[in-house]
Amino acid sequence: MMPEAILVLTHTDEAGSSLTKSSLETVTAGKTLADRLETPLVIGILATDSNAAAKSLPGLNARILGVSGEAFEKPQYAADVAACEALCNAAQATVILAPQSSRMARVAAGLAHRISGSIDTHITSIQGDEAIEVTRWLYRQRIEATITRSVRPWILLIEGGVCAAYEGHEGEGELEQVAVELPELRTNVIGTRAPAHSGQTIRPDAKMLFVAGAGWTKKQADGQVHAGEAGELILSFLQKTSASLGSSKSLVDQGGDGQPVLPFLSHMNQVGQTGATPRHPKGLATCCHGEEPHVVGWRFITERRAISLDPNCGWARGKADVVYIADAFKVIAKVNELLALKA
Amino acid sequence: MNRMKETAGSCAPEIERPTLEADIACVGFGPAMGGFLTTLNRAWMANPADPMFESKVAAGLPLQVLCYERADDIAAGVSGVVTAAQGIRGSFPDLNLADISMAAPVTSERILYLLDPIGASRRPLTLRIADRVLRALNGTLGVRDHAYELPWSPRFLHKTGGLVMSIGQFNQWVGTQIMASGLVQIWPGMPVSQPLFAQNFERTGDQVVGIRLTDQGVEKNGEPGAAYVAGIDVRARLTVIGDGPFGSVGRAIDQRMGMPSGHDKREWALGMKFVIELPEETALKAGTVWHTFGYPEPAIFGFLYVHPERLASVGIFVPSWLGDPSRTVYRYLQHYIQHPALWRHLRDGKLRSWGAKSLDESGQHGEPFLVGDGYARIGEGSGSTNMLAGSGVDEAWTTGVQLAEAVLELLRNQRSFTQENLAAIYEARRRASWVEQNARNAINARNGFHLGFVPGIIGMAIAGMTGGTISLGANIPPAHKQIKKKQGKSKDDLTRAEVAKLVVDDGRPLHDAMMSARGWPEIVFDGKLLVSQQDALMLGGKVQAMPGFADHLVFRDAGLCIQCDEKTCIAMCSGQALTSGSGDIPVFEREKCVHCGACIWNCTQITGEGLTNIEFRAGVGGLHSAEN
Amino acid sequence: MSLHIVVCAGIVPDPLQTLEPIAGPNGPALKNEMMLPAVLDPWAASALYEAATLVSKFPGSRLWLVSLGPKAKLQQVMMTIAQKVTFELVAVDSASNGFADASATASALASGIAAIPDLDRTKLLLFGGWESASRGAGVTLQTVGELLGITDQFAGVDQIDMREDGSFEVLERVEGGKHQASVCAGAPAVLGWATGNLPEPHNNPQIGMANMRTVMPALQRAKQAALTNDGQQYLSASLPSQQRQTRVVRDLAPDAIAQELVEWIRTQ
Ligand SMILES: Cc1cc2nc3c(=O)[nH]c(=O)nc-3n(C[C@H](O)[C@H](O)[C@H](O)COP(=O)(O)OP(=O)(O)OC[C@H]3O[C@@H](n4cnc5c(N)ncnc54)[C@H](O)[C@@H]3O)c2cc1C
Ligand SMILES: Cc1cc2nc3c(=O)[nH]c(=O)nc-3n(C[C@H](O)[C@H](O)[C@H](O)COP(=O)(O)OP(=O)(O)OC[C@H]3O[C@@H](n4cnc5c(N)ncnc54)[C@H](O)[C@@H]3O)c2cc1C
Ligand code: SF4
Ligand code: SF4
Repeated sequence: MMPEAILVLTHTDEAGSSLTKSSLETVTAGKTLADRLETPLVIGILATDSNAAAKSLPGLNARILGVSGEAFEKPQYAADVAACEALCNAAQATVILAPQSSRMARVAAGLAHRISGSIDTHITSIQGDEAIEVTRWLYRQRIEATITRSVRPWILLIEGGVCAAYEGHEGEGELEQVAVELPELRTNVIGTRAPAHSGQTIRPDAKMLFVAGAGWTKKQADGQVHAGEAGELILSFLQKTSASLGSSKSLVDQGGDGQPVLPFLSHMNQVGQTGATPRHPKGLATCCHGEEPHVVGWRFITERRAISLDPNCGWARGKADVVYIADAFKVIAKVNELLALKA
Repeated sequence: MNRMKETAGSCAPEIERPTLEADIACVGFGPAMGGFLTTLNRAWMANPADPMFESKVAAGLPLQVLCYERADDIAAGVSGVVTAAQGIRGSFPDLNLADISMAAPVTSERILYLLDPIGASRRPLTLRIADRVLRALNGTLGVRDHAYELPWSPRFLHKTGGLVMSIGQFNQWVGTQIMASGLVQIWPGMPVSQPLFAQNFERTGDQVVGIRLTDQGVEKNGEPGAAYVAGIDVRARLTVIGDGPFGSVGRAIDQRMGMPSGHDKREWALGMKFVIELPEETALKAGTVWHTFGYPEPAIFGFLYVHPERLASVGIFVPSWLGDPSRTVYRYLQHYIQHPALWRHLRDGKLRSWGAKSLDESGQHGEPFLVGDGYARIGEGSGSTNMLAGSGVDEAWTTGVQLAEAVLELLRNQRSFTQENLAAIYEARRRASWVEQNARNAINARNGFHLGFVPGIIGMAIAGMTGGTISLGANIPPAHKQIKKKQGKSKDDLTRAEVAKLVVDDGRPLHDAMMSARGWPEIVFDGKLLVSQQDALMLGGKVQAMPGFADHLVFRDAGLCIQCDEKTCIAMCSGQALTSGSGDIPVFEREKCVHCGACIWNCTQITGEGLTNIEFRAGVGGLHSAEN
Repeated sequence: MSLHIVVCAGIVPDPLQTLEPIAGPNGPALKNEMMLPAVLDPWAASALYEAATLVSKFPGSRLWLVSLGPKAKLQQVMMTIAQKVTFELVAVDSASNGFADASATASALASGIAAIPDLDRTKLLLFGGWESASRGAGVTLQTVGELLGITDQFAGVDQIDMREDGSFEVLERVEGGKHQASVCAGAPAVLGWATGNLPEPHNNPQIGMANMRTVMPALQRAKQAALTNDGQQYLSASLPSQQRQTRVVRDLAPDAIAQELVEWIRTQ
């Protein structure tokens, strides 16, 4: 088999000075692969000033190539694809890794076409003993496949969070500038816009998802509904943990006519088959039964815990890691108390 | 929510609607319409230039034939199916079963009487004695796995030469061929809200002049929203109604035109089924057909049909004459598949799909006027289903074929679609055919069940064996009266209050709790074959409804719900789309409704106009399974 | 100003179906694939609705839908989609599914587009989904764009504002829930759509009937395309295990549970 040569394409963040986290993660992926295959590693940097950006890579034993210029300040297809093409030509790699960032995802397939290579995206792991085998998901995260390819160059876009970000210490590598011939640029990036967020919708960057189920507004042991108290407990928890707020369909539907039972909830909060499928490292379900239509929305919640009164609820049947059979009113009140103490 | 509303349409403001002219407008795409359109399409393709296929409404264009189906896909039906396929084979003499997924020829048939291995079913004394005798004679009679196989099967049940199929796959196969010609259009996801009536000037009474499609861009309560689009009026020379047992168009016509004297749709059953992937080492061969009775309740009939590739359809029919308002069919089905005779084969299987739908079991008792000026009825809604044999697909198909033949003849002779002309050819053809013959044999076959299970079985056997000449007479009450208002005293003399407590403690549906209290063991979920009802809704083609349509279920009078103790509508709801909510009026969630139609005949209360309290209109969505 | 919009949209199994991979003769396939009802790929469908809206705003514009898939399934999907917006269909008959190689799909699509009579490439906006719901790769549309020589490309588009001079502003999805705004001088360009802003159009039987005059002939004309696999080999395709090993904690006091939870919340 022909020896592989590996190139990692990276780019800077919005500020333009340092490499993005996902770029640094991909550097780790590239380094691991190069070490395993005992082949040289090349890094390519796309930045206004790639020399400055190379400072994000101390102590990396690799050849570093860079393209620099105002044209690369903002992501844009025509300039980016030309830059990547120039880096690839300079590196002559067989395997090209890049982060699955919006910037790289916009150009990677076009790049593959230009360098007569093949491409796979959304890679969640790179394995294999001798050959390179990658895994990715198909059919909206429902089928997991392991793929290999014979065509080279082979471009792989690596999902965020698959590797730790590269962290080096001493020593700076020498950067070689690569010239890019730019076509006439017909697109002008004018900036980014943050969508108007209402207060308590699902927050994509939160560490944790908190799901409130319909049990919060059901009659409790004393035969009464305690919606007011439920609302306070939930909001207090959110405020203390900065968790993202999700809900079951049953609970948000209650707000359907007239006054919502918990006024801060809307259909925007619904998690599940007919709602959202958020991504968070942790999730806590409270007063929710864990029916399948709801739990399909938890596909990307890594660690799952639930508090429910019902030992036969869905969570207890293999849908959560831990289920506490307990009264969520009592547990969350105490949790809030402890969080307040320790904060 | 949309709890109180006047009767359909009566308060709807008159608005300008777009109209469309067609020659033939068709409602619903089931086997009946499949038979109709296949026959029409085939004649047309054989000679497209024939002037008889020129449109009368669009000059210079061919016949405009438009078919509208409520469900999101033409493959979304629910049925058994085992069928003798006499009519279907007639239409496809060179039928190659390999072309239709999940179809197999019938290879063996058994009838099993299932004993109750648990002791929770409600068996009358006579039956309990009979059961004891059976068990005592076990060795001689060959009772195995608590099941007794009848040594012979009555002729009316024979499906020799017949087929085991999936209705979804069959309809998809038929529909694809029809559409490929480009002559006929079948539009799914488009409910027909009502027939268009017009005064008939040549005689007293009304004629049907087309159909109105459902309004879109409306709120749940039907109020126009921002993106309101009024449903189109499709004006047609002939309207063909094949909307099944409880289609809203058929029911509107029944209401407007009345029913033939003495006819009424009073007997119903909810059919619910699982499609199960059998374990790899299964001994069941494709084409195997089992009919069962006796368990989980004596009056519940069941079936197991085996498709190719280790798939089986297993289901039960819970009839209106069961009486008991605790009719949680899903739970019954879970007990059914665990009966030792079935469980032996199903145990390590995997649930792939699930579905439910009502059957009009009134047969000819419920036959409406088959034709009228401008319209004709085909399929189950026209009373074609044969209750004695539990067979409706081939009958429906054949009525469709018969109507198409009549239509072709009328077109050829340039005659119009009047009641007389349609009656003279379509109705006459139908009356002279095997469909009518079998329906007559079956007409009173099930009457005995209103007297009890044992008279029911005897009556059915006699009717079957004598070709219907002898059968038990019975005075059949309307469906809502068949529901027993008072809970039968169960073993533990349960009071509703006790059960209610169970419900609050466990947080689960009332009727489910009731069954547990009556001695039915709890279902132990295994996540493969035994899953919660909500989980089943998510399997193999889940339930969904597009936004922008009005709720299709409306409670006519909220006051009646408040008074209602039984709330059978909730117990019987296949999709758990009707739930108790927090007040006394059930809550309806359109997104979970599978359009099984059970709520229509499971409401115990009657409004001032003599209608049950649930108004069920044409709606979109429902199951997306193509395997049922 | 008028536009020529070509929307590339594949078909995928109705997302409500249970999917299961099996080993087919040419790599993995879906179990009972031909039995599963299909729908127009959702993101590509938003592209189609956006395109129809644009076309209606600029008189003289035209809209083609280029769809590659098994003919019988295409026909079935068209019965729904043709009720929604007006388009001219270009059908390519191919046994494609999520396991097929994206670049092979792209070449089949590009040749389908190149063969469209009357297509004016200077007015061409190539639309599609930024990813498919089957392969989910985000590769197809970009490659078609390259094959047609279009170098202004946008991915994850949620909005386009077309100006009278033919230039337009687009919003593309970027990290952190934000949008990147760009102004492009005009056609030709490639826009891979995310969800956009338009609701799914109602089913309109009149539109359906008008479309059918071209849809059925287009299906009958559909050319067969065999897809190559570009050296791609599947070593496995499997369903993830859904079941977790759940620890059910029954008899712990609320305070103790709270303690355990707070520790869990605080761990990194
Ligand atoms: C087609 C379809 C699509 C659907 N889509 C979605 C979807 O996208 N998202 C979704 O969420 N659902 C969806 N559903 C509905 C879903 O099946 C469930 O009905 C819903 O998730 C139930 O919500 P829940 O668990 O909050 O309520 P419930 O089922 O009412 O459960 C409440 C739970 O709270 C517990 N409880 C009560 N009081 C307490 C207390 N003090 N402490 C602890 N526990 C308590 C009870 O024991 C019970 O387990 C869908 C259903 C269908 C059919
Ligand atoms: C569980 C079960 C098992 C069965 N087993 C068997 C069996 O083994 N053998 C057998 O022969 N028969 C069986 N049957 C009966 C058989 O399925 C029916 O008799 C047959 O499907 C009737 O055909 P049809 O065309 O008249 O109506 P349907 O199949 O009901 O078709 C009517 C169509 O009209 C549509 N529709 C309704 N209202 C509207 C509207 N307003 N606008 C537009 N469209 C509308 C419906 O969605 C439906 O697709 C079974 C039925 C069930 C429920
Ligand atoms: S059975 Fe009828 S009256 Fe009773 S709750 Fe249901 S809809 Fe209302
Ligand atoms: S509400 Fe829908 S699912 Fe429930 S019984 Fe009525 S038709 Fe069936």
